[in-house]
Amino acid sequence: MNAPTDPALQERTAALQGMGDSRLRKEDARFIQGKGNYVDDIKLPGMLHMDIVRSPLAHARIKRIDKSEALKVPGVIAVLTAEDLKPIKLHWMPTLAGDVAAVLADGKVHFQMQEVAVVIAEDRYAAADGVEAVQVEYEELEAVIDPYATLAPDAPVIREDLAGKTTGAHGAREHHNHIFTWEAGDKSAADAAFGVAPVTVAARIHYPRVHPCPLETCGCVASFDPVRGELTTYMTSQAPHVVRTVVSMLSGVPESKVRIISPDIGGGFGNKVGVYPGYVCAIVASIVLGKPVKWIEDRIENISTTAFARDYHMDGELAATPDGKITALRVNVIADHGAFDACADPTKFPAGLFHICSGSYDIPAAYACVKGVYTNKAPGGVAYRCSFRVTEAVYLIERMVDILANRLGLDKAEIRRRNLIRKEQFPYASPFGFEYDSGDYHTALAKVLDAVDYKGLRAEQAAKRADPNCPTLMGIGLVTFTEVVGAGPSKMCDILGIGMFDSCEIRVHPTGAAIARMGTITQGQGHQTTYAQIIATELGIPSEVIQVEEGDTSTAPYGLGTYGSRSTPVAGAAIAMAARKIHAKARKIAAHLLEVGEDDLDWEIDRFKVKGDDARFKTMKDICWAAYNNTPAGVEPGLEAVHYYDPPNFTYPFGVYLCVLDIDRGTGETHVRRFLALDDCGVRINPMIIEGQVHGGLTEGYAVAMGQQMPFDAQGNLLGNTLMDYFLPTAVETPHWETDYTVTPSPHHPLGAKGVAESPHVGSIPTFTAAVVDAFEHLGVTNMTMPHTSYRVWQQLKECGAAL
Amino acid sequence: MEVSLDKRYPVAAGIEQAWAVLKDVRATAACMPGAAITEQTDDTHYKGTVKSKVGPSTLLFGGDIEVLGLDEAARELHMVGKGADKSGSSASMDLTAHLEPAETQDTCTLVGRAVVKVNGKLAQFGSRLLVPVSDVMLGQFADNFSAAAAAAMTRPAVVEAPAQQVDAAPQAQPSAVPPSQQIDTPPAPAPAKELNALALAWAVFKSWLRGLFGSRA
Amino acid sequence: MAKRIIKLTVNGKTVEKAVEPRMLLIHFLREECQLTGPHIGCETSHCGACTVDLDGESVKSCTHLAVQCDGSTVLTVEGLAQGGVLHAVQEGFYKEHGLQCGFCTPGMLMRAYRLLQENPDPTEAEIRTGISGNLCRCTGYQNIVKAIQYAAKKLKADAEAKQTVAA
Repeated sequence: MNAPTDPALQERTAALQGMGDSRLRKEDARFIQGKGNYVDDIKLPGMLHMDIVRSPLAHARIKRIDKSEALKVPGVIAVLTAEDLKPIKLHWMPTLAGDVAAVLADGKVHFQMQEVAVVIAEDRYAAADGVEAVQVEYEELEAVIDPYATLAPDAPVIREDLAGKTTGAHGAREHHNHIFTWEAGDKSAADAAFGVAPVTVAARIHYPRVHPCPLETCGCVASFDPVRGELTTYMTSQAPHVVRTVVSMLSGVPESKVRIISPDIGGGFGNKVGVYPGYVCAIVASIVLGKPVKWIEDRIENISTTAFARDYHMDGELAATPDGKITALRVNVIADHGAFDACADPTKFPAGLFHICSGSYDIPAAYACVKGVYTNKAPGGVAYRCSFRVTEAVYLIERMVDILANRLGLDKAEIRRRNLIRKEQFPYASPFGFEYDSGDYHTALAKVLDAVDYKGLRAEQAAKRADPNCPTLMGIGLVTFTEVVGAGPSKMCDILGIGMFDSCEIRVHPTGAAIARMGTITQGQGHQTTYAQIIATELGIPSEVIQVEEGDTSTAPYGLGTYGSRSTPVAGAAIAMAARKIHAKARKIAAHLLEVGEDDLDWEIDRFKVKGDDARFKTMKDICWAAYNNTPAGVEPGLEAVHYYDPPNFTYPFGVYLCVLDIDRGTGETHVRRFLALDDCGVRINPMIIEGQVHGGLTEGYAVAMGQQMPFDAQGNLLGNTLMDYFLPTAVETPHWETDYTVTPSPHHPLGAKGVAESPHVGSIPTFTAAVVDAFEHLGVTNMTMPHTSYRVWQQLKECGAAL
Repeated sequence: MEVSLDKRYPVAAGIEQAWAVLKDVRATAACMPGAAITEQTDDTHYKGTVKSKVGPSTLLFGGDIEVLGLDEAARELHMVGKGADKSGSSASMDLTAHLEPAETQDTCTLVGRAVVKVNGKLAQFGSRLLVPVSDVMLGQFADNFSAAAAAAMTRPAVVEAPAQQVDAAPQAQPSAVPPSQQIDTPPAPAPAKELNALALAWAVFKSWLRGLFGSRA
Repeated sequence: MAKRIIKLTVNGKTVEKAVEPRMLLIHFLREECQLTGPHIGCETSHCGACTVDLDGESVKSCTHLAVQCDGSTVLTVEGLAQGGVLHAVQEGFYKEHGLQCGFCTPGMLMRAYRLLQENPDPTEAEIRTGISGNLCRCTGYQNIVKAIQYAAKKLKADAEAKQTVAA
């Protein structure tokens, strides 16, 4: 869309505060005055509180649960165990990955902090007292924590409930602790290329387990009305409609009488996609007791039991020519899913979209194989601020390209230049079957290298390396990544059988204001502002008077929720399409009012003008009024539309990130000197909001790369599950971020937009690792496993003899 | 999670007297702060408790002790203790302790190697304290042991072959013994009280502080 | 344990309630006073989502017992705006896009408020240190810093304007 140059037109465009405008956010008013409406803010009359008794052991049999003391605690109303859920068959529940997960431990616990019983009481203090008083006797079993050891023939059996089941939801199971084996690409073509390749490199790349840790923990208020037979549940959910369908199926309450409301959500990052036992128990308790039941988990519970992310052990290999042109990629992955496969992936993809791992490069042959396994850890994994398994895929390929560059003595920017998919090759068919919609990687790369004076940086690094007295090691990390987001075309992507389309319904009022609802749910992404901006430009109505609502399944059209950067690609498209239906009707009305044919009209910003006669026009505002009292013959009154959008393809945002850091040789501390993130998300709706989200994603990426870990000991004790240990950066250590952008629209998206804000997380993590490893490269280091805490970096310094 | 501790402690008694106490499993157990043997089920198996208090909450570990070896010649005791607390912590300790002569006839050295495994809540939340806390607990144990051995010097050596302790029917012995008192040996100066974790924390801190300045117990 | 009667001033109003001695200030504010602005994000006093102003100091209300605050004055985010006019820090966060999901925002605002009372002209480093007790997962802090700088400027300008009027 070309911006007008005429000042009058510019003024009218600006008044809309539509697409491309860095307008301030409409949702801020309530948040800055403490009037947000988060789940824990909700109080219903007669509301009870639920707390959970959890297993201290990772693998054990439950010999006895004694509720008697707990029931004597003042204020305690009920204590439920698996035995109480058995009659209604809710002690186990289906997961989004085709597995089953225990709601309350049924005879056995599979991971530390697993839910064993719930206590419902009059207030949260009494509930906590009740939890302390429940007595559980355990018989310790040997735990298996290592995802390789779990496949040993004599490894302890974790899932006794799956005994004898040689097929799972994703095919054959080859071992009692094996979940699935998934393959993509062409194994024989890849093997053939490796067979003749002059150069090959191989490395084990570990992406450790981390946790999304949003500031608000998970929780719900379940309220069953026994008079109406209606179940209303306020829930921290990134996918309320899917939850409604699942809850209806599990509880037997007709879906028309189930209402899930996701109010304001304090950050999701993938943590709030799944259905957790706490939700199920609160709902059951409310149905049984006929009163609202609130359950809010604490931080330790959140980190220990809700969906973790990553934990991929990847064996990567590249085949190449002597001048660094990649001819093939092979990856074999062991995926540690914990005790239950609760991965939130589209059904046909148990390893998500990991096969984007050929990255931004033109690789002729590729093969990937992912084996999922069970261990005695919390179930998952989930897409933490990324599209499904895209962080793992991008990390793998970017590490491998650097390792190849190192082998060949090639500069890391140069090897990328030689292998990046060229602009003319789009739409590009990847060796894994993706059709990348659009991209201009070389331009983005050049822009970044130019902005930082890459040559100068390398010269500085060489000089520092030559100086034995230099107190720091300088590292430069460069990543050129492509994501695959916007799940997705329903023939490929479904969640529990429901296609991954999304939706929008818009209703315009007589006085020119509007209300719109979508099937997604914002958790800080600013949908109430950006969605209004889309409609504003499509309809010529100021975004200021367009009310956007999401999250109430009784009013919003069905959608698959917000995660994996899918809102703009899918719901954003639905919004545009719904708006265009209204726009088409508006044209009819305008033609009727101006007594001309529809083809005699031009649309200009906020009005229809008669071609060649500027004085005759009707503004959208005029048309809105007319829609309710003066529509042409055969046209209904009113001005509204619904659209369900089934995307024809994913979208492929990309980016080029560069990091310069200096490692203190005495302490191992890393100082990020500079970080430049260039993102291309296609057409940009609100640059201010994009930039803010990029800052946030880079910071979460910094946290993962430099400090987050979930250390388990051999018995499955999770040793660092509070914020004392789990690294959430403060304003002090968070680096200063520089952002830039290019715009390569998506050809198949109605707005040309691709989705953004997970890219900074996906792209920054390998950038930090690349920079840290680069700092040590002249000392022979080619790979280092995250997190790059001062201690771990210091250990590397010692190992290289570079410590001061 | 697992920790290994190798310790040497001075004992204010001669090696024979110290051995008399060491091979008396009840007497030795009684030197562990907060611990008591409640029952002996056969030659080599005992049941016991360790009570630990952290502020207002009390941990009561109930568990089993098995004597795996008692070597008169080497003056070595090898035992394994395993216990669990109802609130969800479990711990086990594999201890090999022997006595060595020291410079004088009236002193000797208690040498111990303990492999401590902790599971559950204690491992989850207490892991970083495990070594310093174990250090202090074992230090207290050694002090109590040394005192018990020194007190034994003023009496004729009570040489009881392990078999003798089996004679009594299991219930006869505990009934004579209030849970938190020692038996068979003269009372040690510091009666085994509950393990008070706040006092322990202070002791850990003092020990750490001392360590900074080079002196270690 | 028997309840105790406490009396405090919250956002300018006197509040008198009977509470259990173990009740945390954060729960007192959210449940007894119906002020759900301050939030709970952890139980180890790291996140700062519960930050309020107590007797002129930023405190984490999760680490205070309500009974400890008997006789005290508390200001929460709901008490920042006066007469329908937003406080400078609130305006700054809005203008500089210093919030996304909004969960850390009440605590962050209360900390920013007190920080600027303590240090009306902070450098960026002083701001970052000053808010290091408040975690945010969404913004990466960069715009929060700008928001506080905006507020500092505005407070200074407002103070100068008042002086000019008074003179």
